[in-house]
Amino acid sequence: MIQHLLRISHVSKHFGGNVAVHDVSFAVDEKQIVGLIGPNGAGKTTLFNCMTGFFPVTSGEVIFDIKKINDLRPDEVCRLGMARTWQRVKPLGSLSVLENVMVGAFSVTNKTRQAEEIAMEQLKRMGLTDYASKSAGSLPIGLKKKLELARVLATHPKLLLLDEICGGLNHTETETILDIIRSIRQRGATIVFIEHDMKAVTSICDRIVVLNSGEKLAEGSPEEITNNPDVIAAYLGGGHHA
Amino acid sequence: MKQITLLTILAAAAIALPLVIGENPYITGILISVLMMAALSSAWNILGGYAGQYSFGHAAYFGAGAYTTLILLTNYPTLNPLICMAVGIIAASIIALITGAIVFRLRGHYFGLASIAVAEIVRLSVLNFDFTGGAQGILLSDVSLWGLDLNSKNPFYYAMLLVLAVTLGITAYLRTSKTGYYLQAIREDQDAASSLGINLSFYKNKSLLLSAALTSVLGSLYGLYIRFIDTSAVLDLRLSIEIILTAIIGGVGTLWGPVVGALLLVPLAEMLRSNLLGDALVKAGLVSETSALGIFLKENLAHAHVLVYGIITVLCILYLPKGILGLFRRTK
Ligand SMILES: Nc1ncnc2c1ncn2[C@@H]1O[C@H](COP(=O)(O)OP(=O)(O)O)[C@@H](O)[C@H]1O
Ligand SMILES: [Mg+2]
Repeated sequence: MIQHLLRISHVSKHFGGNVAVHDVSFAVDEKQIVGLIGPNGAGKTTLFNCMTGFFPVTSGEVIFDIKKINDLRPDEVCRLGMARTWQRVKPLGSLSVLENVMVGAFSVTNKTRQAEEIAMEQLKRMGLTDYASKSAGSLPIGLKKKLELARVLATHPKLLLLDEICGGLNHTETETILDIIRSIRQRGATIVFIEHDMKAVTSICDRIVVLNSGEKLAEGSPEEITNNPDVIAAYLGGGHHA
Repeated sequence: MKQITLLTILAAAAIALPLVIGENPYITGILISVLMMAALSSAWNILGGYAGQYSFGHAAYFGAGAYTTLILLTNYPTLNPLICMAVGIIAASIIALITGAIVFRLRGHYFGLASIAVAEIVRLSVLNFDFTGGAQGILLSDVSLWGLDLNSKNPFYYAMLLVLAVTLGITAYLRTSKTGYYLQAIREDQDAASSLGINLSFYKNKSLLLSAALTSVLGSLYGLYIRFIDTSAVLDLRLSIEIILTAIIGGVGTLWGPVVGALLLVPLAEMLRSNLLGDALVKAGLVSETSALGIFLKENLAHAHVLVYGIITVLCILYLPKGILGLFRRTK
Protein backbone atom coordinates (compact mmCIF):
# COMPACT_ATOMS: atom_id res chain seq x y z
CA MET A 1 0.00 0.00 0.00
CA ILE A 2 1.13 3.52 -0.75
CA GLN A 3 2.22 5.54 2.25
CA HIS A 4 0.03 8.62 2.57
CA LEU A 5 1.00 11.53 4.81
CA LEU A 6 -2.62 11.95 5.83
CA ARG A 7 -5.55 9.60 5.49
CA ILE A 8 -9.13 10.51 6.35
CA SER A 9 -11.07 7.28 6.65
CA HIS A 10 -14.89 7.22 6.77
CA VAL A 11 -15.04 10.23 9.07
CA SER A 12 -18.45 11.35 10.26
CA LYS A 13 -19.33 14.14 12.65
CA HIS A 14 -22.80 14.67 14.04
CA PHE A 15 -23.96 17.55 16.20
CA GLY A 16 -27.00 16.02 17.80
CA GLY A 17 -29.25 15.32 14.85
CA ASN A 18 -27.29 17.60 12.52
CA VAL A 19 -24.94 15.59 10.31
CA ALA A 20 -22.12 18.02 9.55
CA VAL A 21 -19.75 15.47 7.98
CA HIS A 22 -20.83 12.08 6.68
CA ASP A 23 -18.52 9.20 5.79
CA VAL A 24 -15.79 11.26 4.17
CA SER A 25 -12.59 9.56 3.02
CA PHE A 26 -9.58 10.89 1.14
CA ALA A 27 -5.82 10.87 1.38
CA VAL A 28 -3.07 13.43 1.04
CA ASP A 29 0.39 12.52 -0.21
CA GLU A 30 3.57 14.31 0.64
CA LYS A 31 4.24 17.56 -1.24
CA GLN A 32 0.71 17.71 -2.58
CA ILE A 33 -1.62 20.65 -2.36
CA VAL A 34 -5.15 19.36 -1.97
CA GLY A 35 -8.08 21.73 -2.29
CA LEU A 36 -11.16 21.20 -0.14
CA ILE A 37 -14.13 23.03 -1.60
CA GLY A 38 -17.86 23.14 -1.15
CA PRO A 39 -20.63 25.64 -0.43
CA ASN A 40 -21.05 27.30 2.95
CA GLY A 41 -22.05 24.78 5.59
CA ALA A 42 -20.68 21.84 3.58
CA GLY A 43 -18.64 20.69 6.59
CA LYS A 44 -15.14 21.81 5.56
CA THR A 45 -14.25 23.61 8.79
CA THR A 46 -15.84 20.84 10.84
CA LEU A 47 -13.60 18.35 9.07
CA PHE A 48 -10.53 20.45 9.97
CA ASN A 49 -11.71 20.56 13.58
CA CYS A 50 -11.99 16.76 13.58
CA MET A 51 -8.55 16.38 12.04
CA THR A 52 -6.83 18.66 14.55
CA GLY A 53 -8.34 17.34 17.77
CA PHE A 54 -10.83 20.14 18.38
CA PHE A 55 -13.85 17.90 17.84
CA PRO A 56 -13.99 14.16 18.55
CA VAL A 57 -15.16 12.33 15.43
CA THR A 58 -18.50 10.54 15.67
CA SER A 59 -17.00 7.68 13.67
CA GLY A 60 -14.06 7.03 11.41
CA GLU A 61 -10.34 7.60 11.71
CA VAL A 62 -7.75 10.26 10.97
CA ILE A 63 -4.32 8.80 10.26
CA PHE A 64 -1.33 11.11 10.11
CA ASP A 65 2.11 9.69 9.40
CA ILE A 66 0.81 6.14 10.14
CA LYS A 67 -0.43 7.29 13.54
CA LYS A 68 -4.10 7.41 14.46
CA ILE A 69 -4.56 10.93 15.74
CA ASN A 70 -8.27 11.52 16.17
CA ASP A 71 -8.05 10.90 19.93
CA LEU A 72 -5.21 13.36 20.45
CA ARG A 73 -5.46 16.89 21.82
CA PRO A 74 -4.98 19.85 19.44
CA ASP A 75 -1.56 20.68 20.91
CA GLU A 76 -0.40 17.10 20.39
CA VAL A 77 -1.55 17.16 16.78
CA CYS A 78 0.35 20.41 16.24
CA ARG A 79 3.52 19.02 17.74
CA LEU A 80 3.25 15.92 15.53
CA GLY A 81 3.48 18.30 12.60
CA MET A 82 -0.06 19.07 11.43
CA ALA A 83 -1.05 22.68 12.00
CA ARG A 84 -4.02 24.75 10.96
CA THR A 85 -5.15 28.32 10.48
CA TRP A 86 -8.56 29.64 11.46
CA GLN A 87 -11.25 30.81 9.06
CA ARG A 88 -12.19 33.40 11.67
CA VAL A 89 -8.72 34.64 12.52
CA LYS A 90 -7.60 34.28 16.10
CA PRO A 91 -4.84 36.78 16.78
CA LEU A 92 -3.45 36.94 20.32
CA GLY A 93 -4.80 40.47 20.46
CA SER A 94 -2.77 42.21 23.13
CA LEU A 95 0.52 40.60 22.12
CA SER A 96 2.64 42.15 19.40
CA VAL A 97 2.77 40.74 15.90
CA LEU A 98 6.27 39.43 16.58
CA GLU A 99 5.20 37.82 19.85
CA ASN A 100 2.28 36.10 18.10
CA VAL A 101 4.64 34.42 15.69
CA MET A 102 7.10 33.62 18.49
CA VAL A 103 4.35 31.65 20.25
CA GLY A 104 4.18 29.48 17.14
CA ALA A 105 7.97 29.17 17.01
CA PHE A 106 8.13 27.98 20.62
CA SER A 107 6.75 24.64 19.48
CA VAL A 108 10.11 23.96 17.82
CA THR A 109 12.46 25.67 20.28
CA ASN A 110 12.59 26.47 23.99
CA LYS A 111 14.90 29.45 23.56
CA THR A 112 13.42 32.92 23.33
CA ARG A 113 16.27 34.23 21.16
CA GLN A 114 15.79 31.41 18.68
CA ALA A 115 12.01 31.79 18.66
CA GLU A 116 12.51 35.45 17.85
CA GLU A 117 14.80 34.58 14.95
CA ILE A 118 12.34 32.08 13.50
CA ALA A 119 9.53 34.60 13.94
CA MET A 120 11.43 37.44 12.27
CA GLU A 121 12.18 35.15 9.34
CA GLN A 122 8.48 34.37 8.91
CA LEU A 123 7.51 38.03 9.25
CA LYS A 124 10.01 38.90 6.56
CA ARG A 125 8.64 36.26 4.22
CA MET A 126 5.13 37.60 4.82
CA GLY A 127 6.13 41.26 4.44
CA LEU A 128 5.10 42.00 8.02
CA THR A 129 8.48 43.15 9.34
CA ASP A 130 7.32 46.76 9.66
CA TYR A 131 4.46 45.67 11.88
CA ALA A 132 6.54 43.50 14.24
CA SER A 133 5.97 45.65 17.32
CA LYS A 134 2.34 46.57 16.57
CA SER A 135 -0.31 44.89 18.68
CA ALA A 136 -1.87 42.02 16.73
CA GLY A 137 -5.40 43.09 17.59
CA SER A 138 -4.94 46.43 15.83
CA LEU A 139 -4.09 44.99 12.39
CA PRO A 140 -6.54 45.23 9.46
CA ILE A 141 -8.02 41.92 8.33
CA GLY A 142 -5.65 41.42 5.39
CA LEU A 143 -2.63 41.60 7.67
CA LYS A 144 -4.31 39.46 10.31
CA LYS A 145 -4.65 36.72 7.71
CA LYS A 146 -0.96 37.04 6.89
CA LEU A 147 -0.15 36.94 10.58
CA GLU A 148 -2.21 33.78 10.92
CA LEU A 149 -0.13 32.23 8.16
CA ALA A 150 3.21 33.45 9.55
CA ARG A 151 2.35 32.11 13.00
CA VAL A 152 1.39 28.65 11.82
CA LEU A 153 4.44 28.41 9.55
CA ALA A 154 6.63 29.18 12.56
CA THR A 155 5.57 25.80 14.00
CA HIS A 156 7.35 24.24 10.98
CA PRO A 157 4.45 21.95 10.07
CA LYS A 158 4.83 18.92 7.84
CA LEU A 159 1.22 19.33 6.84
CA LEU A 160 -0.48 22.69 6.71
CA LEU A 161 -4.26 23.10 6.89
CA LEU A 162 -5.44 26.46 5.57
CA ASP A 163 -9.06 27.44 6.23
CA GLU A 164 -10.09 30.19 3.79
CA ILE A 165 -6.84 32.02 4.26
CA CYS A 166 -7.83 34.33 1.38
CA GLY A 167 -11.40 34.87 2.61
CA GLY A 168 -12.35 38.53 2.81
CA LEU A 169 -9.22 39.68 1.01
CA ASN A 170 -9.10 41.80 -2.13
CA HIS A 171 -7.51 40.64 -5.37
CA THR A 172 -3.96 41.88 -4.72
CA GLU A 173 -3.94 40.57 -1.16
CA THR A 174 -5.14 37.19 -2.43
CA GLU A 175 -2.36 37.15 -5.02
CA THR A 176 0.33 37.86 -2.41
CA ILE A 177 -0.95 35.04 -0.21
CA LEU A 178 -1.08 32.65 -3.18
CA ASP A 179 2.49 33.60 -4.07
CA ILE A 180 3.55 32.83 -0.52
CA ILE A 181 1.81 29.47 -0.68
CA ARG A 182 3.54 28.68 -3.98
CA SER A 183 6.90 29.47 -2.41
CA ILE A 184 6.13 27.30 0.61
CA ARG A 185 5.22 24.49 -1.71
CA GLN A 186 8.50 24.80 -3.56
CA ARG A 187 10.22 23.99 -0.30
CA GLY A 188 8.25 20.76 -0.23
CA ALA A 189 5.33 21.57 2.07
CA THR A 190 2.12 19.58 2.03
CA ILE A 191 -1.08 21.59 2.21
CA VAL A 192 -4.81 21.07 2.50
CA PHE A 193 -6.45 24.21 1.29
CA ILE A 194 -10.06 25.23 1.97
CA GLU A 195 -11.02 28.01 -0.38
CA HIS A 196 -14.07 29.60 -1.94
CA ASP A 197 -12.30 31.28 -4.82
CA MET A 198 -12.40 28.60 -7.56
CA LYS A 199 -9.72 30.35 -9.61
CA ALA A 200 -7.37 30.33 -6.66
CA VAL A 201 -8.04 26.66 -6.01
CA THR A 202 -7.58 25.46 -9.58
CA SER A 203 -4.45 27.53 -10.04
CA ILE A 204 -2.70 26.12 -7.02
CA CYS A 205 -4.00 22.63 -6.20
CA ASP A 206 -2.86 19.24 -7.45
CA ARG A 207 -6.09 17.61 -6.45
CA ILE A 208 -9.48 18.79 -5.29
CA VAL A 209 -12.00 17.20 -2.94
CA VAL A 210 -15.55 18.53 -3.17
CA LEU A 211 -17.84 18.40 -0.15
CA ASN A 212 -21.56 18.99 -0.32
CA SER A 213 -23.93 18.79 2.65
CA GLY A 214 -21.30 16.92 4.62
CA GLU A 215 -20.64 14.27 1.98
CA LYS A 216 -17.85 13.88 -0.51
CA LEU A 217 -19.28 14.71 -3.91
CA ALA A 218 -16.20 14.31 -6.07
CA GLU A 219 -12.43 14.07 -6.05
CA GLY A 220 -9.92 14.60 -8.83
CA SER A 221 -7.57 16.92 -10.66
CA PRO A 222 -8.65 20.56 -11.09
CA GLU A 223 -9.55 19.74 -14.68
CA GLU A 224 -11.67 16.75 -13.75
CA ILE A 225 -13.47 18.73 -11.08
CA THR A 226 -14.29 21.72 -13.28
CA ASN A 227 -15.66 19.34 -15.90
CA ASN A 228 -17.48 17.00 -13.51
CA PRO A 229 -21.22 17.19 -14.30
CA ASP A 230 -22.19 16.42 -10.69
CA VAL A 231 -20.06 19.23 -9.38
CA ILE A 232 -21.34 21.62 -12.02
CA ALA A 233 -24.94 20.67 -11.36
CA ALA A 234 -24.87 20.55 -7.58
CA TYR A 235 -22.46 23.27 -6.93
CA LEU A 236 -20.76 25.35 -9.56
CA GLY A 237 -23.94 25.88 -11.53
CA GLY A 238 -26.29 26.37 -8.62
CA GLY A 239 -24.39 28.56 -6.21
CA HIS A 240 -22.31 31.64 -6.44
CA HIS A 241 -19.63 30.19 -4.27
CA ALA A 242 -16.89 28.44 -6.07
CA MET B 1 20.72 50.67 31.62
CA LYS B 2 18.39 53.38 32.91
CA GLN B 3 16.14 50.62 34.19
CA ILE B 4 18.94 48.95 36.10
CA THR B 5 19.91 52.26 37.74
CA LEU B 6 16.30 52.90 38.70
CA LEU B 7 15.95 49.39 40.06
CA THR B 8 19.13 49.69 42.12
CA ILE B 9 17.96 52.98 43.64
CA LEU B 10 14.57 51.46 44.42
CA ALA B 11 16.13 48.39 46.03
CA ALA B 12 18.56 50.50 48.04
CA ALA B 13 15.73 52.72 49.25
CA ALA B 14 13.64 49.72 50.24
CA ILE B 15 16.57 48.22 52.15
CA ALA B 16 17.43 51.48 53.89
CA LEU B 17 13.87 52.41 54.80
CA PRO B 18 13.66 50.67 58.22
CA LEU B 19 16.95 52.29 59.22
CA VAL B 20 15.61 55.71 58.30
CA ILE B 21 12.36 55.15 60.15
CA GLY B 22 14.05 53.69 63.21
CA GLU B 23 12.06 51.70 65.77
CA ASN B 24 8.54 52.63 64.82
CA PRO B 25 6.46 49.45 64.99
CA TYR B 26 3.36 51.15 63.66
CA ILE B 27 4.94 52.46 60.46
CA THR B 28 7.03 49.31 59.99
CA GLY B 29 3.85 47.29 60.38
CA ILE B 30 2.17 49.20 57.57
CA LEU B 31 5.24 48.80 55.38
CA ILE B 32 5.23 45.05 56.00
CA SER B 33 1.57 44.97 54.97
CA VAL B 34 2.40 46.88 51.79
CA LEU B 35 5.20 44.46 50.89
CA MET B 36 3.07 41.46 51.70
CA MET B 37 0.10 42.63 49.65
CA ALA B 38 2.41 43.58 46.78
CA ALA B 39 3.95 40.10 46.85
CA LEU B 40 0.58 38.33 47.22
CA SER B 41 -0.86 40.29 44.35
CA SER B 42 2.25 39.62 42.22
CA ALA B 43 1.97 35.91 42.92
CA TRP B 44 -1.71 36.00 41.98
CA ASN B 45 -0.79 37.96 38.86
CA ILE B 46 1.28 35.06 37.47
CA LEU B 47 -1.91 33.02 37.23
CA GLY B 48 -4.58 35.71 36.92
CA GLY B 49 -2.71 38.38 35.00
CA TYR B 50 -0.52 36.33 32.69
CA ALA B 51 -2.47 33.09 32.21
CA GLY B 52 -5.80 34.93 32.51
CA GLN B 53 -7.14 32.43 35.06
CA TYR B 54 -8.80 34.52 37.75
CA SER B 55 -8.52 32.83 41.11
CA PHE B 56 -10.94 34.06 43.74
CA GLY B 57 -9.57 31.65 46.31
CA HIS B 58 -5.95 32.55 46.91
CA ALA B 59 -6.65 32.82 50.62
CA ALA B 60 -6.62 29.00 50.62
CA TYR B 61 -2.92 28.92 49.68
CA PHE B 62 -2.08 31.74 52.08
CA GLY B 63 -3.94 29.94 54.84
CA ALA B 64 -2.27 26.65 53.97
CA GLY B 65 1.13 28.23 54.56
CA ALA B 66 0.12 30.05 57.74
CA TYR B 67 -1.72 27.13 59.32
CA THR B 68 0.87 24.50 58.40
CA THR B 69 3.64 26.61 59.89
CA LEU B 70 1.87 27.43 63.12
CA ILE B 71 0.48 23.94 63.66
CA LEU B 72 3.95 22.46 63.19
CA LEU B 73 5.62 25.00 65.46
CA THR B 74 3.10 24.67 68.29
CA ASN B 75 3.63 20.90 68.19
CA TYR B 76 7.37 20.89 67.51
CA PRO B 77 8.71 24.18 68.88
CA THR B 78 12.30 23.39 67.92
CA LEU B 79 11.53 22.87 64.25
CA ASN B 80 13.28 25.23 61.85
CA PRO B 81 10.65 27.68 60.52
CA LEU B 82 12.09 27.25 57.03
CA ILE B 83 11.15 23.57 57.13
CA CYS B 84 7.63 24.56 58.17
CA MET B 85 7.56 26.86 55.18
CA ALA B 86 8.54 24.00 52.88
CA VAL B 87 5.81 21.79 54.31
CA GLY B 88 3.39 24.70 53.81
CA ILE B 89 4.36 24.81 50.13
CA ILE B 90 3.57 21.10 49.86
CA ALA B 91 0.17 21.60 51.49
CA ALA B 92 -0.66 24.51 49.18
CA SER B 93 0.56 22.54 46.16
CA ILE B 94 -1.71 19.63 47.00
CA ILE B 95 -4.73 21.97 47.17
CA ALA B 96 -3.62 23.58 43.90
CA LEU B 97 -3.12 20.25 42.13
CA ILE B 98 -6.53 18.97 43.16
CA THR B 99 -8.20 22.21 42.06
CA GLY B 100 -6.31 22.24 38.78
CA ALA B 101 -6.90 18.59 38.00
CA ILE B 102 -10.63 19.06 38.39
CA VAL B 103 -11.26 22.38 36.71
CA PHE B 104 -8.57 22.99 34.13
CA ARG B 105 -10.05 20.29 31.90
CA LEU B 106 -13.08 22.51 31.56
CA ARG B 107 -13.30 25.62 29.44
CA GLY B 108 -14.80 28.91 30.48
CA HIS B 109 -15.13 30.52 33.86
CA TYR B 110 -15.24 27.34 35.87
CA PHE B 111 -11.87 28.00 37.40
CA GLY B 112 -12.99 31.25 39.05
CA LEU B 113 -16.04 29.58 40.54
CA ALA B 114 -14.21 26.43 41.57
CA SER B 115 -11.44 28.43 43.24
CA ILE B 116 -14.01 30.05 45.54
CA ALA B 117 -15.55 26.66 46.29
CA VAL B 118 -12.20 25.06 47.11
CA ALA B 119 -11.18 27.99 49.34
CA GLU B 120 -14.47 27.76 51.22
CA ILE B 121 -14.06 24.01 51.69
CA VAL B 122 -10.58 24.62 53.11
CA ARG B 123 -11.84 27.39 55.38
CA LEU B 124 -14.77 25.36 56.72
CA SER B 125 -12.58 22.30 57.25
CA VAL B 126 -10.06 24.29 59.22
CA LEU B 127 -12.88 25.82 61.23
CA ASN B 128 -14.22 22.40 62.16
CA PHE B 129 -11.07 20.38 62.79
CA ASP B 130 -9.53 20.19 66.26
CA PHE B 131 -5.88 20.19 65.33
CA THR B 132 -6.35 23.51 63.57
CA GLY B 133 -7.70 25.19 66.69
CA GLY B 134 -11.15 25.50 65.11
CA ALA B 135 -12.82 28.86 65.62
CA GLN B 136 -10.34 29.78 68.31
CA GLY B 137 -7.39 29.83 65.98
CA ILE B 138 -3.77 29.14 66.85
CA LEU B 139 -1.49 31.12 69.08
CA LEU B 140 2.27 30.72 68.84
CA SER B 141 4.02 31.87 71.99
CA ASP B 142 7.59 31.98 70.84
CA VAL B 143 9.64 31.53 67.73
CA SER B 144 13.33 31.75 67.00
CA LEU B 145 15.55 31.53 63.96
CA TRP B 146 19.32 31.93 63.84
CA GLY B 147 19.23 34.01 67.02
CA LEU B 148 17.32 36.80 65.28
CA ASP B 149 15.14 38.97 67.50
CA LEU B 150 11.76 38.01 66.07
CA ASN B 151 9.95 40.33 68.42
CA SER B 152 11.31 43.15 66.32
CA LYS B 153 9.47 43.74 63.09
CA ASN B 154 12.52 44.46 60.99
CA PRO B 155 13.41 40.83 60.16
CA PHE B 156 9.91 40.41 58.78
CA TYR B 157 10.20 43.58 56.77
CA TYR B 158 13.28 42.18 55.09
CA ALA B 159 11.79 38.71 54.70
CA MET B 160 8.71 40.15 52.96
CA LEU B 161 10.94 42.35 50.83
CA LEU B 162 12.96 39.31 49.81
CA VAL B 163 9.88 37.29 48.84
CA LEU B 164 8.53 40.27 46.90
CA ALA B 165 11.84 40.59 45.07
CA VAL B 166 11.87 36.87 44.28
CA THR B 167 8.27 37.00 43.03
CA LEU B 168 8.98 40.01 40.84
CA GLY B 169 12.17 38.34 39.61
CA ILE B 170 10.28 35.18 38.65
CA THR B 171 7.62 37.28 36.91
CA ALA B 172 10.24 39.29 35.02
CA TYR B 173 11.95 36.09 33.93
CA LEU B 174 8.66 34.46 32.95
CA ARG B 175 7.77 37.37 30.71
CA THR B 176 10.72 36.68 28.47
CA SER B 177 10.50 32.90 28.56
CA LYS B 178 8.55 30.31 26.62
CA THR B 179 6.30 29.65 29.61
CA GLY B 180 5.44 33.34 29.93
CA TYR B 181 4.55 33.64 26.26
CA TYR B 182 2.48 30.47 26.49
CA LEU B 183 0.57 31.77 29.52
CA GLN B 184 -0.25 34.99 27.71
CA ALA B 185 -1.30 33.09 24.62
CA ILE B 186 -3.69 31.06 26.80
CA ARG B 187 -5.07 34.29 28.24
CA GLU B 188 -5.65 35.76 24.79
CA ASP B 189 -7.22 32.81 22.98
CA GLN B 190 -7.29 29.23 24.17
CA ASP B 191 -8.19 27.72 20.78
CA ALA B 192 -5.40 29.58 19.03
CA ALA B 193 -3.02 28.61 21.82
CA SER B 194 -3.76 24.91 21.64
CA SER B 195 -3.65 24.92 17.84
CA LEU B 196 -0.10 26.26 18.15
CA GLY B 197 1.03 23.34 20.29
CA ILE B 198 0.32 24.64 23.77
CA ASN B 199 -0.83 22.05 26.28
CA LEU B 200 -3.45 24.17 28.00
CA SER B 201 -3.94 22.22 31.21
CA PHE B 202 -0.20 21.67 31.72
CA TYR B 203 0.63 25.37 31.54
CA LYS B 204 -2.38 26.43 33.59
CA ASN B 205 -1.41 23.95 36.29
CA LYS B 206 2.19 25.08 36.14
CA SER B 207 1.28 28.72 36.74
CA LEU B 208 -1.25 27.78 39.42
CA LEU B 209 1.38 25.75 41.28
CA LEU B 210 3.94 28.52 41.09
CA SER B 211 1.43 31.10 42.23
CA ALA B 212 0.13 28.91 45.05
CA ALA B 213 3.63 28.07 46.31
CA LEU B 214 4.66 31.73 46.51
CA THR B 215 1.39 32.62 48.20
CA SER B 216 1.92 29.88 50.75
CA VAL B 217 5.41 31.17 51.61
CA LEU B 218 3.86 34.55 52.32
CA GLY B 219 1.25 32.85 54.49
CA SER B 220 3.99 31.13 56.49
CA LEU B 221 5.83 34.39 56.95
CA TYR B 222 2.66 36.13 58.03
CA GLY B 223 1.95 33.40 60.56
CA LEU B 224 5.44 33.75 62.04
CA TYR B 225 5.07 37.51 62.09
CA ILE B 226 1.62 37.80 63.62
CA ARG B 227 1.82 34.56 65.67
CA PHE B 228 -1.92 34.37 66.05
CA ILE B 229 -4.12 33.20 63.21
CA ASP B 230 -7.71 32.19 62.74
CA THR B 231 -9.77 31.54 59.63
CA SER B 232 -11.02 35.11 59.39
CA ALA B 233 -7.44 36.39 59.33
CA VAL B 234 -5.87 34.05 56.78
CA LEU B 235 -8.58 32.06 54.99
CA ASP B 236 -11.25 34.64 54.37
CA LEU B 237 -12.77 35.39 50.97
CA ARG B 238 -12.15 39.05 51.80
CA LEU B 239 -8.40 38.43 51.59
CA SER B 240 -8.75 36.74 48.19
CA ILE B 241 -10.73 39.72 46.94
CA GLU B 242 -8.20 42.25 48.26
CA ILE B 243 -5.42 40.43 46.46
CA ILE B 244 -7.31 40.65 43.16
CA LEU B 245 -8.36 44.27 43.61
CA THR B 246 -4.77 45.27 44.31
CA ALA B 247 -3.73 43.77 40.98
CA ILE B 248 -6.67 45.23 39.07
CA ILE B 249 -6.11 48.71 40.41
CA GLY B 250 -2.37 48.64 39.80
CA GLY B 251 -2.56 46.88 36.44
CA VAL B 252 -3.30 43.21 35.77
CA GLY B 253 -0.69 41.35 33.74
CA THR B 254 2.00 43.96 34.32
CA LEU B 255 5.17 43.45 36.35
CA TRP B 256 4.82 46.47 38.64
CA GLY B 257 1.03 46.81 38.72
CA PRO B 258 0.61 44.80 41.94
CA VAL B 259 3.29 46.87 43.67
CA VAL B 260 1.64 50.15 42.64
CA GLY B 261 -1.73 48.79 43.73
CA ALA B 262 -0.41 47.77 47.14
CA LEU B 263 1.38 51.11 47.67
CA LEU B 264 -1.92 52.85 47.08
CA LEU B 265 -4.45 50.55 48.71
CA VAL B 266 -2.76 49.31 51.88
CA PRO B 267 -2.07 52.79 53.32
CA LEU B 268 -5.54 53.84 52.25
CA ALA B 269 -7.10 50.90 54.06
CA GLU B 270 -4.98 51.69 57.10
CA MET B 271 -6.13 55.31 57.05
CA LEU B 272 -9.72 54.21 56.93
CA ARG B 273 -9.21 51.63 59.65
CA SER B 274 -7.63 54.07 62.05
CA ASN B 275 -10.11 56.73 61.07
CA LEU B 276 -7.36 59.07 59.86
CA LEU B 277 -9.50 60.02 56.91
CA GLY B 278 -12.47 61.01 59.08
CA ASP B 279 -10.21 63.01 61.35
CA ALA B 280 -8.64 64.75 58.39
CA LEU B 281 -12.02 65.72 57.00
CA VAL B 282 -12.98 67.17 60.36
CA LYS B 283 -9.68 69.01 60.73
CA ALA B 284 -9.98 70.46 57.26
CA GLY B 285 -13.32 71.86 58.34
CA LEU B 286 -15.16 69.96 55.63
CA VAL B 287 -17.24 68.02 58.11
CA SER B 288 -18.21 69.02 61.61
CA GLU B 289 -17.38 66.43 64.26
CA THR B 290 -20.74 66.76 65.94
CA SER B 291 -22.82 66.78 62.76
CA ALA B 292 -24.73 63.68 61.75
CA LEU B 293 -22.28 63.05 58.91
CA GLY B 294 -19.29 63.46 61.22
CA ILE B 295 -20.65 60.94 63.70
CA PHE B 296 -21.60 58.57 60.91
CA LEU B 297 -18.09 58.76 59.45
CA LYS B 298 -16.47 58.21 62.81
CA GLU B 299 -18.56 55.16 63.47
CA ASN B 300 -18.48 53.55 60.07
CA LEU B 301 -15.45 54.61 58.10
CA ALA B 302 -13.24 52.17 59.97
CA HIS B 303 -15.21 49.27 58.54
CA ALA B 304 -15.48 50.77 55.10
CA HIS B 305 -12.19 49.86 53.54
CA VAL B 306 -13.56 46.92 51.60
CA LEU B 307 -16.36 49.15 50.33
CA VAL B 308 -13.84 51.79 49.32
CA TYR B 309 -11.76 49.11 47.55
CA GLY B 310 -14.90 48.14 45.69
CA ILE B 311 -15.68 51.70 44.64
CA ILE B 312 -12.10 52.29 43.48
CA THR B 313 -12.20 49.04 41.53
CA VAL B 314 -15.42 49.97 39.76
CA LEU B 315 -13.95 53.38 38.88
CA CYS B 316 -10.79 51.67 37.69
CA ILE B 317 -12.66 49.22 35.48
CA LEU B 318 -14.70 52.09 34.02
CA TYR B 319 -11.94 54.61 33.49
CA LEU B 320 -8.63 52.77 33.79
CA PRO B 321 -9.27 49.28 32.41
CA LYS B 322 -5.55 48.58 32.35
CA GLY B 323 -5.00 49.82 35.89
CA ILE B 324 -2.92 52.74 37.01
CA LEU B 325 0.12 51.46 35.14
CA GLY B 326 -1.96 51.40 31.97
CA LEU B 327 -1.92 55.20 32.12
CA PHE B 328 1.82 55.30 31.62
CA ARG B 329 2.08 52.60 28.97
CA ARG B 330 2.82 53.68 25.46
CA THR B 331 -0.09 52.73 23.28
CA LYS B 332 1.11 50.61 20.43
N1 LIG C 1 -19.78 23.55 17.08
C1 LIG C 1 -20.85 23.23 16.30
N2 LIG C 1 -22.02 22.86 16.88
C2 LIG C 1 -23.09 22.54 16.13
N3 LIG C 1 -23.11 22.56 14.79
C3 LIG C 1 -21.99 22.93 14.14
C4 LIG C 1 -20.80 23.29 14.87
N4 LIG C 1 -19.83 23.61 13.98
C5 LIG C 1 -20.40 23.45 12.76
N5 LIG C 1 -21.68 23.05 12.85
C6 LIG C 1 -22.57 22.74 11.73
O1 LIG C 1 -21.91 21.90 10.84
C7 LIG C 1 -22.23 22.22 9.51
C8 LIG C 1 -20.97 22.45 8.70
O2 LIG C 1 -20.38 23.68 9.08
P1 LIG C 1 -18.91 24.08 8.67
O3 LIG C 1 -18.02 22.94 8.90
O4 LIG C 1 -18.57 25.34 9.35
O5 LIG C 1 -19.08 24.34 7.11
P2 LIG C 1 -18.08 25.03 6.10
O6 LIG C 1 -16.78 25.29 6.79
O7 LIG C 1 -17.96 24.07 4.97
O8 LIG C 1 -18.74 26.31 5.66
C9 LIG C 1 -23.16 23.42 9.55
O9 LIG C 1 -24.48 22.98 9.43
C10 LIG C 1 -22.91 23.98 10.92
O10 LIG C 1 -24.07 24.60 11.42
MG1 LIG D 1 -15.77 27.04 7.13
